[in-house]
Amino acid sequence: MGVTDVVTPVRLEDLVAALAAATPQTRLLAGGTDLVRSIRTPGSEPDTIIDLTGLAEFAYVRLDGGTLRVGATTTFTALQWDPLVREHALCLGLAAAQVGSVQIRNAGTIGGNIANASPCADGATALTALGAEVTTIDGAGTARTRPLGEILLGPSRTSLAHDEAITEFSFPALGPEHRSAFAKIGSRTAVSVARLSAALVVRFDAAAGTLDDVRVSLGAVGGAAFRASRLEESLTRLPADEATAQLFAEGCVAAVQESIPGRYSLPYKQHAAVGLAYDAWNMLALSPPCEPAWA
Amino acid sequence: MTEDLQYVGGSYPVHDVAQKVTGELVYGSDFSLPGMLHAKLILSTVPHGMVKRIDASRAEALPGVVKVFSHENSPMDRFCRARIHPGQDLAEHDETLFSERVRFVGDRVAAVVATSRAAAEAAAALVEVEYEELPALLTVDEALASTDVLVHSTGNVAYESEIDKGERPDLGGAVIVSSSTSTPRVHHAALEPHVCIAQGHSTGGMTVWTTSQGVYAARTVIAELLDMEYHRVRVIKVPMGGSFGGKTEYIIEPVCAFLAHATRRPVKLLLDREECMIATMVRPATWTTIRTACTPEGVLLDFEAATTLDSGAYASSTPDYSIHMCKKVTKLYRVPHYQHQSRAVLTNTPVGGACRGWGAPEMAAATEIHMDRVAAALRLDPVELRLKNMVEPFDTDLVTGLPLGDARVRECLERGAVAFDWAARRARPAGRGRLRRGVGVAAGAHKNGMFGAFPEASNMSLKMNEDGTFELNASLHEVGCGIVTTMKVIVAEVLGVHPDRIAAGEADTATTPFDYGTYGSRVTYVVGECARVTAEKVKARLLEAAAELLKEPVVHLFTRDGAVHVKNDAERAVAYRDIARLSEMRHVPSIAASTTYYAVSNPASYSVQFAEVEVDCATGLVAVNDFLAVADVGRAINRGMVEAQYQGAVQMGIGYALYEHLDVDEQGRSGIDGFKNYHIVNAPDMPDIQVLLVEHEGDDGPFGAKSVGEIATVPTAGAVVNAVNNALGTELSDLPLVPERIIAALHAPEEVPACSSC
Amino acid sequence: MQLLLTVNGMQYEVEARPTARLLDVLRDQLGLIGTKEGCGEGECGACTVLVDGRAVNSCVMLAVQARGKDVLTVEGLAQDGELDVLQQKFVEYGAVQCGYCTPGMLMSAKALLMANPVPSEQDIRIALAGNLCRCTGYSAIVAAVKAASGHDATPAMVLPGEAEELAAEVSTDPETLAIVQEVVEAAEAELIQGTPPAPEAFPSPGAPAMPPGAPTAPADPEEGE
Repeated sequence: MGVTDVVTPVRLEDLVAALAAATPQTRLLAGGTDLVRSIRTPGSEPDTIIDLTGLAEFAYVRLDGGTLRVGATTTFTALQWDPLVREHALCLGLAAAQVGSVQIRNAGTIGGNIANASPCADGATALTALGAEVTTIDGAGTARTRPLGEILLGPSRTSLAHDEAITEFSFPALGPEHRSAFAKIGSRTAVSVARLSAALVVRFDAAAGTLDDVRVSLGAVGGAAFRASRLEESLTRLPADEATAQLFAEGCVAAVQESIPGRYSLPYKQHAAVGLAYDAWNMLALSPPCEPAWA
Repeated sequence: MTEDLQYVGGSYPVHDVAQKVTGELVYGSDFSLPGMLHAKLILSTVPHGMVKRIDASRAEALPGVVKVFSHENSPMDRFCRARIHPGQDLAEHDETLFSERVRFVGDRVAAVVATSRAAAEAAAALVEVEYEELPALLTVDEALASTDVLVHSTGNVAYESEIDKGERPDLGGAVIVSSSTSTPRVHHAALEPHVCIAQGHSTGGMTVWTTSQGVYAARTVIAELLDMEYHRVRVIKVPMGGSFGGKTEYIIEPVCAFLAHATRRPVKLLLDREECMIATMVRPATWTTIRTACTPEGVLLDFEAATTLDSGAYASSTPDYSIHMCKKVTKLYRVPHYQHQSRAVLTNTPVGGACRGWGAPEMAAATEIHMDRVAAALRLDPVELRLKNMVEPFDTDLVTGLPLGDARVRECLERGAVAFDWAARRARPAGRGRLRRGVGVAAGAHKNGMFGAFPEASNMSLKMNEDGTFELNASLHEVGCGIVTTMKVIVAEVLGVHPDRIAAGEADTATTPFDYGTYGSRVTYVVGECARVTAEKVKARLLEAAAELLKEPVVHLFTRDGAVHVKNDAERAVAYRDIARLSEMRHVPSIAASTTYYAVSNPASYSVQFAEVEVDCATGLVAVNDFLAVADVGRAINRGMVEAQYQGAVQMGIGYALYEHLDVDEQGRSGIDGFKNYHIVNAPDMPDIQVLLVEHEGDDGPFGAKSVGEIATVPTAGAVVNAVNNALGTELSDLPLVPERIIAALHAPEEVPACSSC
Repeated sequence: MQLLLTVNGMQYEVEARPTARLLDVLRDQLGLIGTKEGCGEGECGACTVLVDGRAVNSCVMLAVQARGKDVLTVEGLAQDGELDVLQQKFVEYGAVQCGYCTPGMLMSAKALLMANPVPSEQDIRIALAGNLCRCTGYSAIVAAVKAASGHDATPAMVLPGEAEELAAEVSTDPETLAIVQEVVEAAEAELIQGTPPAPEAFPSPGAPAMPPGAPTAPADPEEGE
């Protein structure tokens, strides 16, 4: 039982220095809501904890031209209430608002949510739909930016090196013609791990009354959040009406079925996907609220 | 008389509320002693097997580790965790401090004792245990089918009983309805984990501080196991953060006492949440089939039931639990013939035992789901059907032969149906859209103490202090439902003095008189009546003293506002503090009295509950939108607390109906290890529970009061399930109604799944 | 490692393991046992404290994360012996049963009211969603928070303040008091001489003790029984 050291960098240089000293047994603490419990399990104590919560400079939401930049140590509470997020990435704000409890949202950060790589992570579903890229820094001080999909490899698995920390998420800011939504099915109204989550982004061409730039991401089905590309294509140029809502729901069901064939949870999730899809659709407020056809 | 009640029927906070809101109250988990050691359990990771080897050398080499105890170096005498008094029947001594043969994932294998909790935890991870696995019986079906593999050598059926009462009438033309209902294994989920602190003394005695529901029983179990005379074992009840039956049995107390005895040091054994969930006790899972016959008009002619209960790995109180499931229906419904077979089956799963309601919520779920099937078969309204069959006040319980007392369950149902606007709500269509609404009703019955089964009694004494205040000396076990306040209010009412002028402490085997403790729905009815009788004796002494002083006959006097008054003469009174002064001067005898009160009856308490739910047919999630609980309480001693008890009990019942389950997988492991995956209902999902009290005073409790804490949760799950079935037109009867089951019932009724956690 | 913490306005310097949780430091080193541990995984909220005014679960936060920040625990709610309005309302509304969730509930409610002084019922329920209670069904807790935020409601419980009033005890009437006084004095005198008086040795109350016109028998002998 070694004694774990905790270092709390407060500037980027300190972080790089800390990362340079990191070993595979080093863990990064980005809020602690998952990590603190796991490191207390005897036998799994890290040699060093790099406490990222001191990096105030990475807690931000900024609009940089057409790009929205979210610092990795931004808490869910900050995201939930941030006006830029509301305007340019509503689905991320909605997802943040549904993470855990107030207490968890106050401590938990978007960087930690991604690095923890839970298949149920609400933040991952939203960022996937937003087409987010992830910027990291490593112990050599090298910054890299790569798509979120390259980071998330599966349950608790990422491509992050042991000396690599997420510093920022960036993605094209949604414009005034865009609408976005996030829906989640848990086992309670509030404070529940997602059993299924979806983020939906569309651009609505008001003149034509049709959708384009459709982006659908599903979470808590399979190892990591993913884009349902075929579904996205099939909805492009369709009118924002009830029939499209139905196609969207059917597409979500198909995506769930393809993602977890034969899985124990499939019988439930394939049906629940219909409800999830309609919840997300109705949140776009592009058509009068609609219900599954069978209802 | 009721309008004359000055304190009874008011609303009072729990006695220690000021300490609770400031955070100063020292709960068991906060308790520490100088030089205290910390213990950490090592639990079996296999469901059934022999411990082949324990290597504690690495653990014992850690700094701060005092010793590792296991079957190899500890007594192997057996004890019964559910024993509440020395001469008890049905107390299977089947458990040892540490197991050599482990019987479930969570069975105690060893304990590390160290100078700090961190050291104990670190060391526990270093204790190597090697098992020789045995075939595990993880379901009651496997256990019943197995002839070679036995959980205990006595056989896999821990107990079997059959009740057959009354005469079966001619069933020609009767309508026969059958149903089968299952209820899940659930955890009590008290917010404070289980904890015990024990200190061995060099005198050979020991003191145990525990968050238990019964200190005398804890003493019996500890003293017998450690072969100590009772007077050398002092057990003190300390403040606890909830229990719900989960701290009724003596699971960690014997272990902690042994560790303290063996080390001659104070030892604290505090479980973590996962240990509480898998290694203490659970409400047993049950399966009940019911077959009834009734007239085409809906009058019950025959009621036959069969229950199988999963005892888990040790019998604990489950034999008694299974018997009690046979004693519920006839408290509620009149039926000419009642037959009920029940059996408690041992399996290699977490140990079943006492939980709020002691079999009643389980049986009420089965019965009330069944009654709705009968109503559907006869096209009768569920309220109407129940009214045709409910018992009347002062009926006799067909099964126990005990009078039911002033049983006001009909009144509960009738008044509740009006208050809930049942007829109109039931008539409203469920809807055909995604969200469907339904309403359900269920009734339940429970008991008031153990009269009829045990020598039910309580003891206490009450004395006046030198300043005219009072002290009640009783073995009270506050579990959070305000029993200390209840006792104060009862005494206050009798003496005519504000409850704040009365002190009442909690149980301590060295200083407070014998009482079983807080369980069995006995506290208000039996202990409360003991308090009333004791207070009456003290009042008689006060009146005698005052009569002499005031030169008035006792019948001319009455007590109120801390003084003895002369009737019809507002000017004349003598304050208690002045009587106390005379008493101090030995001019009047000491104002004190002791009582042993023997219970004289065991009437039924009732509740009828109405639920309105909204089911999301797309996700299978159920929202309870509105809920009314009607309570036959006899008399509310502390009105606010009765209502609050009901609100909490309904919350627990909603969880039982919709969310909570503690299943084990094929390896015998519980996928549930904490509140992350064991969901208790939180604030956004709880409706504001309405509570309607039916008050009267035809029974033998103080001022007519009857039990509340357990009956309050008895009908809840049935009401919720019936409402869901009403909304969906389904016949769901496997609890809990998790979304998977609802979706399956709507889409593929033939394959209703078991529960899964994620 | 050495930690400087500000808790309830007091500065503390503590020596703690680097991985010590904020909860452990508060309870074990500062003796602030009001903060409870119910689950150790951030699910039950019994360990809720405020860090810089925001509610967090101190069981999933390292103590080092609170360095240089203001920590408020339940012990810091009352000021100069005066209960915070939330504490007072929890008492009045019967929001406390076993009380183990109470400190965490109070802290979550405190954070809510600091950010949103007049929350709706839904706001309250969402703010308390991470605080589990197994006793109350939340009704009384929600009512108490509402009341603390100025919503009008009828308190459920007898207030400790009212207790005094209700307990306004009747004093002994002057004539009887004089008798008591005489007995006590006589007894004291005799006790000094070593002979305790017999209990029956009451002095006669005398004629004046019986007010003129007093009835000789009560109108209703059962009254007050």
